[in-house]
Amino acid sequence: MLRRGVLVGALILFVVAGGTPARSADPPEIPLTIENHRFTPEEITVTAGTSFVLVITNKDATPEEFESHDLRIEKVIPAGKALRLRMPALKKGTYNFVGDFNQSTAKGRIIAE
Amino acid sequence: MGATFVVTLREAFEASLILGIVYAYLDRMGGRRYYGYVTLGAAVGFLASLALGVTVTLLSGPLVDLGPDLIGLAVIFGAAALLTWHGWWMRQHAREIKADVHRRLEAALTARRLWVVGLIAFAGVFREGAETVLFLWGLMSQAKDAGTWSNVLVGVAGIALAAGLGWAIFRGGRHVSLPRFFAITSVVLLLVAAGLFSTGVGRLQGIGWLPMSEPLWDTSQILNDHGFLGSLFGGLVGYRARPSALEVVAYLVFAVLAGLLVIGPGLSRNRRAPALAGKRSPEQP
Repeated sequence: MLRRGVLVGALILFVVAGGTPARSADPPEIPLTIENHRFTPEEITVTAGTSFVLVITNKDATPEEFESHDLRIEKVIPAGKALRLRMPALKKGTYNFVGDFNQSTAKGRIIAE
Repeated sequence: MGATFVVTLREAFEASLILGIVYAYLDRMGGRRYYGYVTLGAAVGFLASLALGVTVTLLSGPLVDLGPDLIGLAVIFGAAALLTWHGWWMRQHAREIKADVHRRLEAALTARRLWVVGLIAFAGVFREGAETVLFLWGLMSQAKDAGTWSNVLVGVAGIALAAGLGWAIFRGGRHVSLPRFFAITSVVLLLVAAGLFSTGVGRLQGIGWLPMSEPLWDTSQILNDHGFLGSLFGGLVGYRARPSALEVVAYLVFAVLAGLLVIGPGLSRNRRAPALAGKRSPEQP
């Protein structure tokens, strides 16, 4: 019982520590807007090998799901909310993403170079 | 409107496939009176999806940013483990199951087994449930005229069709021989579990807890994983058009290990379940 409590406590600490950035330099923030079921901008260029924060703001009245198989991310962003997504350093390449709830119009890509 | 139908159909089918197989399994095992456990698990999964959808919509903050990810990971890895254990258990009792289903399986269907099928039903529904809830909720909140309301109906129709397909799978399970039923469902659940495991590994890469790597291959020309069929296979068995090395290795390792447990050569062919040891055929001394 005690051991389980310690394990849970350690897990919580780990999660909280992971969520709190402790870096000397803040990673750059890149805004991405969802409006009228489209992403703006549709193409984002970042420096390969540098982590960054994608700030996704959903200006639509309905939730959208930011999904990228290339980045292995699937996050729902409720209407009117903003989500800060900490992105790891990416290798050079193109990473496609879509708005899973509006795939015909909501698409984009991140290009790391 | 077609896009709406496809989204809900795909998300709901991932749940209804599992439910169809689990109900069929109870049916073939002479455990029809235990359907309630599966229904309860699915219902709790639905309520949990609602709760998560509401929480994510109403609250904000780092816990809400990371919380759903952690819950998702727990459900993904938990479901992979449960499905594997279920497959292993089915195989252990395959011999007893072949003859005289009713009598032998009374003992086999202990309360703990029922928890497992209930949990599997819960995981199956909850995994994509929250997203589907939010998706439909979004459609409903936008509905103000006949056109937008019909879009909501189309979304519901997608779920209905998925439920119908799950029902067809359940009924189909009655028409195949018992050994074939177990063989097919074992393989399907094994692929689903391997897909879940490698998806979980991919998610760990996505949130940065495992290192990212370049894709091992690119089959998006053959089957685009953002298209309908590709994302359906992606959700069901973990297909990725551009998988990372870690995801591929995770899939193969899991499939091989779980495959050995569920399908492969037995280690103790002559071991019987203890509860049934006394009821063997007359030739046993």
